[in-house]
Amino acid sequence: MATSSKAELNRIPKPRLRQKKRGRLTLVEFLVFVLPLLVFLLLLYGMLGWTFVVSFSDWQGTAPSYGFAGLKWYQLMFTLPRFQADVVNNLRWLVLGVIPTVVIALFIAYLLELGTIPGVETYVRTLILYPVAMSFIVTGTIWSWMYQPQRGVFNTILRGLGLGFLEGRYTTDPSNATYWLVIIFIWQYLGFSVIILQSSFRTTELQEMIEAAIVDGASRLRILIQVIVPNIRGGILILVSLLLISSLKVFDIVYIVTFGGPGFASDVLAFYMFIATFQQHLVALGAGIGVIIFALAFIIVIPYTIYAFRNWFE
Amino acid sequence: MKAQNRTIAILVILTLIMLSVAYILPIYVVVVTSLKSTPELAERRYLFPSTDLQFKNYAEALRLVFPSLVNSSIITFTVTALSALIGGLGGFYLSRFRSLFSRVLFVLVGIALYLPYQVILIPLVQIMARTGLALTHFGLIASYMILNVPLASVLMGTFFMAIPRELEEAAEVDGASRVQIFFRVITPIALPAYASTAIIIFTQVWNEFLLALTLSTPRTTTIQVKLAEVKGSFVAVYNMQMAAALMALLIPLVFFLALGQYFIRGILAGALKG
Repeated sequence: MATSSKAELNRIPKPRLRQKKRGRLTLVEFLVFVLPLLVFLLLLYGMLGWTFVVSFSDWQGTAPSYGFAGLKWYQLMFTLPRFQADVVNNLRWLVLGVIPTVVIALFIAYLLELGTIPGVETYVRTLILYPVAMSFIVTGTIWSWMYQPQRGVFNTILRGLGLGFLEGRYTTDPSNATYWLVIIFIWQYLGFSVIILQSSFRTTELQEMIEAAIVDGASRLRILIQVIVPNIRGGILILVSLLLISSLKVFDIVYIVTFGGPGFASDVLAFYMFIATFQQHLVALGAGIGVIIFALAFIIVIPYTIYAFRNWFE
Repeated sequence: MKAQNRTIAILVILTLIMLSVAYILPIYVVVVTSLKSTPELAERRYLFPSTDLQFKNYAEALRLVFPSLVNSSIITFTVTALSALIGGLGGFYLSRFRSLFSRVLFVLVGIALYLPYQVILIPLVQIMARTGLALTHFGLIASYMILNVPLASVLMGTFFMAIPRELEEAAEVDGASRVQIFFRVITPIALPAYASTAIIIFTQVWNEFLLALTLSTPRTTTIQVKLAEVKGSFVAVYNMQMAAALMALLIPLVFFLALGQYFIRGILAGALKG
């Protein structure tokens, strides 16, 4: 192809205007542009369908069996205390992983935008964005040690400062374990969130509106709440969707820091799916939990996909 | 107005201090501790650097994780290159063709982008085990390709959208086909876009854990799986744990620090239009 295209380009241009319809696709174009992507998509959706089938089967143990068992495992699933605990924990993740992150990120992004000290923006960006390059396994390894009640960094420092009474049990406390895990998530995603919000601040219309509001003598706080927030709804929608999906999918932090414990106090659906499938060998149950996670993710992604679709094909 | 500016200055400084503590303290303690000897670690003076830096901790950690670093490098570099290539082709289609089919494809890609890995894990393990692909690097490479080609397509498509059409129209008048236009006109100007896409895919694959955990065999163990193993077997030996964590972090962090702007552009491309 390379040689023929070279010959084509070297040819003296013919003043013939081929008015192609934008949508029409020749065979070569299909083979080059579409087919590779399509193959991977078909594999992906094929496996998605396969998981649905497994979730309606009676597959237990390591050998696959696809006999139809109807809703058997779904019915069982909803009665399991561990599943119910997971749903509650997932809700905690969805609320606490998203709302505080967005609020704090909005605050930081706005302060950076006010830009009172030169150079501050580059510093803060690098400072809070480096966790984006880290895996949850690295972050989790570090934070497990920080949280460790006896030898951990936090409690050791608190004792050293004479603030021993503030010592915490962190992730070893069954009733609060999930919250401490969520803090790691917020720490990791804060820089990412700030970047996304900052970029949605930077439209000329919004900047003009802010300037007008300043001339009118509105306070900075009022500008944030009444001018900026309503005008970056798109950016907020995107950020909230991305954070919701990430906190729904969270597996690594739970695996590395608490392994779902104590008991299953910090367990989540994504982690239970793994345990049910690969440790308890209740593959049909695992597939069912996978389907539930997918359904939740699907609901979260719909508004975002519609928004992206409109942007793309406007 | 003046009082307000002062309040803001105070707020900025307070926020700066809090953020600095929250984001420097962990990495500082990690680096300082990774250079301590085990008896020194037991003194638990975490905030104070060692007087006798134990660089041999790094040698020891590297010896432990080196094979997994090699595995991760093979897998990640391959997936990144191939995904960026295929994503470029697919992204060009998504950004330039307007038909019912391209709309359907966009929606399929959009959903695939955020698919929880759990929902394809069981079939994937079956395929990889039955074909024996799990025993080679190719198993993880293929799995990551399936998950990252849609992402690469959207990222590249977003960048292509920003390229003015005039260039292509001029080439079209000259009689070039769309395939030629893509390789001769678009690809050379889109190299920074490929860099952004590559760095996002690279970080994502390097840092992935769930698939690596379920699909890797002793010969294909990735660095994340190895680090989890080190954490499990070196209980309370935090100097080793932290040295190993630094090894796992090093390559993506170098990319991030060296190519930060591309990184940010990649994040924004993935978020704003995708």
